[in-house]
Amino acid sequence: MKQPTLRQILLVTDGCSNAGISPVAAASLAREQGITVNVIGVIDRHEMGEQGEREIREIAEAGGGLSDIVYPTQLAQTVQMLTRKAMTRTIHQVVNKELKDILGDSTLERLEPEKRVQVAGMVDELGERSSMEVVMLVDTSASMKTKLPAVQQAIHDFSISLRSRSGESRMAVCSFPGKHQHLDVRIPWTDQVEKAHQLTGSLAVSGITPTGPAIVEAIALFEHVSLPAPLADRYRRESGQRAEDDSEGYLEDHVF
Amino acid sequence: MYSKSAFPPLPREFSGRWNHKRYSVIRPLGQGANGAVYLATQAGRKLAVKIGTDPLDLLMEVNMLKSVQQVRDVKIGPLLCDVDDLLIDGKPCTFYSMEYLEGERLDRYAGRVGREWVPVLAVQLLTRLEILHAQGWVFGDLKPENVIVTHGDKQVRLVDFGGVTKKGNAVRQFTEEYDRGGWQAGDRRAEASYDLFSLAVITIRLMTPDEQWKKFTREGRTVARLCDIIRENDGLYPYRMPLLKALQGIYKDAAAMKRDMVTAIRLRSSSGRKKERGSAAGMVLGGLFVASLLTLAGTLYCFWF
Repeated sequence: MKQPTLRQILLVTDGCSNAGISPVAAASLAREQGITVNVIGVIDRHEMGEQGEREIREIAEAGGGLSDIVYPTQLAQTVQMLTRKAMTRTIHQVVNKELKDILGDSTLERLEPEKRVQVAGMVDELGERSSMEVVMLVDTSASMKTKLPAVQQAIHDFSISLRSRSGESRMAVCSFPGKHQHLDVRIPWTDQVEKAHQLTGSLAVSGITPTGPAIVEAIALFEHVSLPAPLADRYRRESGQRAEDDSEGYLEDHVF
Repeated sequence: MYSKSAFPPLPREFSGRWNHKRYSVIRPLGQGANGAVYLATQAGRKLAVKIGTDPLDLLMEVNMLKSVQQVRDVKIGPLLCDVDDLLIDGKPCTFYSMEYLEGERLDRYAGRVGREWVPVLAVQLLTRLEILHAQGWVFGDLKPENVIVTHGDKQVRLVDFGGVTKKGNAVRQFTEEYDRGGWQAGDRRAEASYDLFSLAVITIRLMTPDEQWKKFTREGRTVARLCDIIRENDGLYPYRMPLLKALQGIYKDAAAMKRDMVTAIRLRSSSGRKKERGSAAGMVLGGLFVASLLTLAGTLYCFWF
């Protein structure tokens, strides 16, 4: 079987979006382009209202991914668990489709348990060997400020997990709202994130949370999606050749 | 979909759809992040039945339980008995049953019988790990909660195979408190040294009073903190050499660590309690910790004492 490339956007937020396109619509758009959207809500105490919880759930559902709401201390482990589960689910779907092609209308659930155990082993192995691309999309609106050290720790921790995989893996980190756009690329595609990356400096302290537009812009980072020329220029040059194109103090900017 | 969707309670009586084995549930045994375990009887014998939130996760676990070959004299984990589906409210739900291990969790056992037992239990664990590693597997999620000391023969057994990973792959499941990555001491690639690191942390954890452990780990997890604990703890100090080597990833296999642990236990029981420990030795050790961290100078420093 062909080794699939797994593409995920992992949104880390603490509340509702309030600007631009609906994040649920944006997540559907991502899913249409083969990108799974997972969402983690970070809370301090009970601050996430019903509306926020619902939005988080709906974004993940529309994006074909998983969601969870956790305290900052649980964040690192949740990132790792959610990503892994979403990956397994995607491969499960691919395997189910192949099974259908071979066996007619049969799905994994219809096989006898012993056979299913074998398939599970195969899914596990496929997951380990597949390529993985993850964009972490971090909400840096004012209310997230106290949670950013935990987010930073989680980013570093996640890079350790990615590095330990057999398959090719890379990640990028973006924050929103951005200085000039809806989103800033803070760490361009990499397979290793140093611990020193600071998220807290040069924060856009702003009341707007453009979650939807940020998801739409994050899609542009995945290179399998063909982009209209102006957009491609904007994102891919930025993450690919930032060294030559540093007119706006980009390097200072992404070590935040 | 929430990652932690709740699982339905198990009916008191049920039969598997495929293998038609009949189970009577006695009581719940425990609940974890990805499943619940119940005590049940089937054909007159006691078994543990596990159902999970994600059927695929559960099946992967079964795959691991099946893959790890049990050795006759040294049992590693529970024996797998049955994999099947049951119907809950008309919906199929996957479960598996395994041998029920009557015993006590490692941390509770150690708390009851006394800390001096911990190194002996660590040696027992190393024997199991050695067998597991030789078969090409790494346990992964090694923690006191996943170790049972059986009543009667007082043998340790590993439970919860959700973290068992083929060597060379990324560890499938882990717990931050015992995870090499979480202590910033390396990655999460499944290799013997990953389990040995967890074992060293377990040993330190079980021999450190809760209060002190909390105080030490509050400011973040680093190997240097663990070294501080070893230095200040009379119970741990005699085992500093194997513990440090495990923390630094020097051991390539469980057998080497086991040899050093056994030697340390022997030395400890033949010499007096605090005889070997002076403040000068402590200072030398402090210096050596720094030196070893700086240079990662392998095993040489161990022979200075």
